[in-house]
Amino acid sequence: MEFTLKIERYDPDTDQGRLQEFTVDAPETATLLDVLDVVKDTVDGSVTYRKSCRMAVCGSCGMRMDGAAVLACKTPMAPLAEEGRVPVISPMGNLPVIKDLVVDMDPFWAKFKAVKPWLEEDDRPPVKEWRVQQEELDRIMKEALCIQCGCCVSECNSMEADPDFLGPAALAKAQRFVGDARDRDRSERLRTLNGPHGVWDCTRCYFCNQRCPKGVDPRDAIAKLGAEAFRERLTRDEGAKHAKVFVSSTYRGGYLRETELVPKTIGPIGAITQIPFALQLARAGKVPNPLSPHKAKDNAEVKRLWKLLEAQTPTTRERATRGADGAGA
Amino acid sequence: MKDRYAYYPGCLASLSQKELDSSSRAIMGKLGVELVEMPSVTCCGAGDIHEAKPDYYLHISARILGQAERSGCDTILTICNVCTLNLRQANERLRENPEELARVNDNLQQTGIGTYQGGVDVRHLLWEVSTGDGYERFKEIAVRSLEGLKVAPFYGCQILRPAKLLGFEDPDRPESLERLITACGAEPVDYPAKVKCCGFPIVLAREDVALGELVQPLSQATEAGADVMVTPCPLCHLSLDAWQAKAENTAGEEFNLPILHLAQLLGAAAGIEESTLKFRRHITRLSDDVKEKLKLPSVVSAD
Repeated sequence: MEFTLKIERYDPDTDQGRLQEFTVDAPETATLLDVLDVVKDTVDGSVTYRKSCRMAVCGSCGMRMDGAAVLACKTPMAPLAEEGRVPVISPMGNLPVIKDLVVDMDPFWAKFKAVKPWLEEDDRPPVKEWRVQQEELDRIMKEALCIQCGCCVSECNSMEADPDFLGPAALAKAQRFVGDARDRDRSERLRTLNGPHGVWDCTRCYFCNQRCPKGVDPRDAIAKLGAEAFRERLTRDEGAKHAKVFVSSTYRGGYLRETELVPKTIGPIGAITQIPFALQLARAGKVPNPLSPHKAKDNAEVKRLWKLLEAQTPTTRERATRGADGAGA
Repeated sequence: MKDRYAYYPGCLASLSQKELDSSSRAIMGKLGVELVEMPSVTCCGAGDIHEAKPDYYLHISARILGQAERSGCDTILTICNVCTLNLRQANERLRENPEELARVNDNLQQTGIGTYQGGVDVRHLLWEVSTGDGYERFKEIAVRSLEGLKVAPFYGCQILRPAKLLGFEDPDRPESLERLITACGAEPVDYPAKVKCCGFPIVLAREDVALGELVQPLSQATEAGADVMVTPCPLCHLSLDAWQAKAENTAGEEFNLPILHLAQLLGAAAGIEESTLKFRRHITRLSDDVKEKLKLPSVVSAD
């Protein structure tokens, strides 16, 4: 079968980039990686990309096809050729390009290390092996599937605007340890993750969930970290304060109290700096009357529901004890 | 398209973005659709409650879904991306996990709230009007061709991704907004950031990061020659409209790009009056040229 693709070439020696088109023959079952191999072997040996396992396990061959991050070894090419599409293959985003399709993964690994991707145990080793219950493993199974390919990081919209954002891969890995029943560094981890460039930098664009080739769903992992922070009452970050307004609004009247969002998220002093902006909104009729908030009917139901659920939520202490019981002995 | 929907405007369209509510009601009325009110529903939980208190989010969503079910409708009509994703996410979890549904229903019952049997679908107005019977009906009522108006579609995130929960169209190559823009007689303008994030969820907590995201669609759409931008999400709208001046400061360039709610664009093409569409509630004002291209009756009659 004939495959045509365009590859974004980049030569670091000359700092020049160009788009180069290749047409090669490959079997109908060829993946993007197979086609790249044919290009390299038969047309131009200087085309540069990473690869290793060829079976979506090693995480080496992350790259973009028509702007979307994929694992080259997991991407069949026949459907595109049948449609007559000529895909543009380019390096992953949010990481510096070294040559052609190869990006510098150092910033990726630095963020990975920053979340301490290892188990922190007590100083005293356990007398027996740690036994982890199936349900405890299930809690972190999705995050444990990450192969560190970088496809999620490539597309992260928040990281484009804040390159220091820890990002979906590192945060998913952090959740894998925060959720691990054996870990003894949970509180400290959560404190660090709930600071600048952490959990609350995520803008919920869901590109990471969409792109992850292993079903890790990093955005969901970030949401779990947010929920864990709330359980630990770590709610000093502006992002957490913002979420608190939503929670209290529904409890009190069902609907969001928009006028409380600014002062309660960024504090009274920050709110003063936003007064000209707020007046502009008010002139257009966009500031609801704070003295007469929009309320849902029958909201007493929601209050009862909240109280019931709060009574059901195991306290952090109970969870910690249960975790130790389940994992220790 | 159904003849009856349980109508769920959500928080923003009930509060700061009331023009979206009035426009949506008007356009659905013109399409011959009955919108059934649900006066006891709350906020869907948005990303915020979903993240902070996931179980509470699941229960308030179940309460909303249950109310829709008892209203005799089999579908909730949403007009917000965030409501769409959050309600669909809760709905899938409840429908796919009988044990979870039973646990949630038990809690609802204990607090005197009606239960949810799993019989409701959640669909965004965009989906209902851009395909099938809804699309055919819309073409019939789109009597005012907005010829000459260049419209940049901005989808927003949570109507596209994650596709496994939304699944209406290809999240990387969506075309529903383009189809409707064309049906209005206007011209869709293409630009890469139409599927990216507006930054709204973190615009208060991380304004610099959010503005860095917001600049992309505004800048690219302006560059591509758009007269206006249209979005199916009131959060994206607020970000693109109200924060536009701040994004201009960040970018060091002027956009002056009016942002329309999808229902407003459809409404203009269907000849719904300005007093219902309420463009005056926008921060980034419509220029006279845009008003003329939108064929707003006030401008037409002035001619």
